[in-house]
Amino acid sequence: MQVSDEQRVYARWLDWTARIGVAVLAGAFLVYAFGFVEPQIALERLPGLWSLPLERYLELTGAPTGWQWLHFLDKGEYLCLIGVGLLGLATLVCYLRIGILLLRQRERLQAAIVALQILVLLAAAANLFTAGH
Amino acid sequence: MKSVSIRAAVLVFGLWLAAPAEAATAEAGDVAWWLWPLGLFAFSFLLGIVAVVAGVGGGVLFVPLVGGFFPFHIDFVRGAGLLLALSGALSATPALLRNGLASLRLAMPLALVGSITSIGGALIGFALPTNVVQTALGLTILAIAALMWIAGRSDHPQVPAQDPLGAAFRMHGIYHDPAAGRDVEWRVHRTPAGLVAFAGIGVLAGMFGLGAGWANIPVLNLLMGAPLKLSVGTSAFLLTVIDTSAAWIYIHRGAVLPMLVAPTIVGVMLGAKIGARLLRIAPARQVRRLVLTLLLVAGVRAVLKGLGIWN
Repeated sequence: MQVSDEQRVYARWLDWTARIGVAVLAGAFLVYAFGFVEPQIALERLPGLWSLPLERYLELTGAPTGWQWLHFLDKGEYLCLIGVGLLGLATLVCYLRIGILLLRQRERLQAAIVALQILVLLAAAANLFTAGH
Repeated sequence: MKSVSIRAAVLVFGLWLAAPAEAATAEAGDVAWWLWPLGLFAFSFLLGIVAVVAGVGGGVLFVPLVGGFFPFHIDFVRGAGLLLALSGALSATPALLRNGLASLRLAMPLALVGSITSIGGALIGFALPTNVVQTALGLTILAIAALMWIAGRSDHPQVPAQDPLGAAFRMHGIYHDPAAGRDVEWRVHRTPAGLVAFAGIGVLAGMFGLGAGWANIPVLNLLMGAPLKLSVGTSAFLLTVIDTSAAWIYIHRGAVLPMLVAPTIVGVMLGAKIGARLLRIAPARQVRRLVLTLLLVAGVRAVLKGLGIWN
């Protein structure tokens, strides 16, 4: 059986980043749902809001978009987004790690694919595709 | 005993679906707020069991069923579905890569194409009116049910010669098949067609938040000629990349509600662990039939909801 070096490294990094993301999300959710940290939107209001279209929900709640939620980390629901964000960054971190490895191994085509993928993920994470909407 | 528990789980699942959707919506404002996340957790737990036993990703069942039978708007359900598919794939992929049951070199070019188009799909999904998204979702789910019904699978497809693009990407290797107890040499063909297929898969994954295991596996296995087990494993890796790109669009748009996402992810992950234990003794054929039935019901429900016939 052949498992390449970059595949082994990728597996190890993904394992840890995903575990951390899920653990943070679960922990933050308990803090949020049990009211240890005050939410921005009262939990009792949620049933009247989650059936609305996204645009209407944003209008009524003033919920942040893009990376603005980072300014609301003292609110329960946005603490949870740290876990979600970590899950979203897990793949990017792993690609960055194997990109270095492939460059060292002079695997130019594979390294180029990895570089392009990093650009796509960075652009998505940086909100380049929805900014200004 | 375990077989009884499976039947009980399937029965609860069926009863859940039998509950009138109007009742759920009308009473959404009357019941305690925490009942809905709790119900979502229970539903996701059962879904995790059924999905593993039936060999499908959770997203393809989650979005149409929760969108059709829970009071949450489809915008938030799509966001939760995408994160559900992403987190499930993130937890499964490390072991698959380590054991050689997923291939980075096979997946990376396909993931690049799929991730770009999944961003486009997510943006299209937010640009379209809700009823159009609902109707298109329903039609897609019905098409997926048909695909699952008619598509065959091939353990070790014949690949007479590797195409030049696949050779350039080094889409070949050896993996160990534990069931056969031997190493299996593999290579793929029709790489350009595979890239085009993954462009389409990305659009659908991003637009509906479905995950895409239902399409990844047939494309890798039947179109490109990768062995079935390698296709299943590589599909999980592909989900981690394709869904990540689209997930950022949902996060930035504000369509990720932690009150939906966290119970869903935790419920499905716990359910999947039970499902993995039941895998050997579960009546897989019956569960697969149940999944097809659920897809048909969910697809019809989404179409009717989209057309304003059954809201």
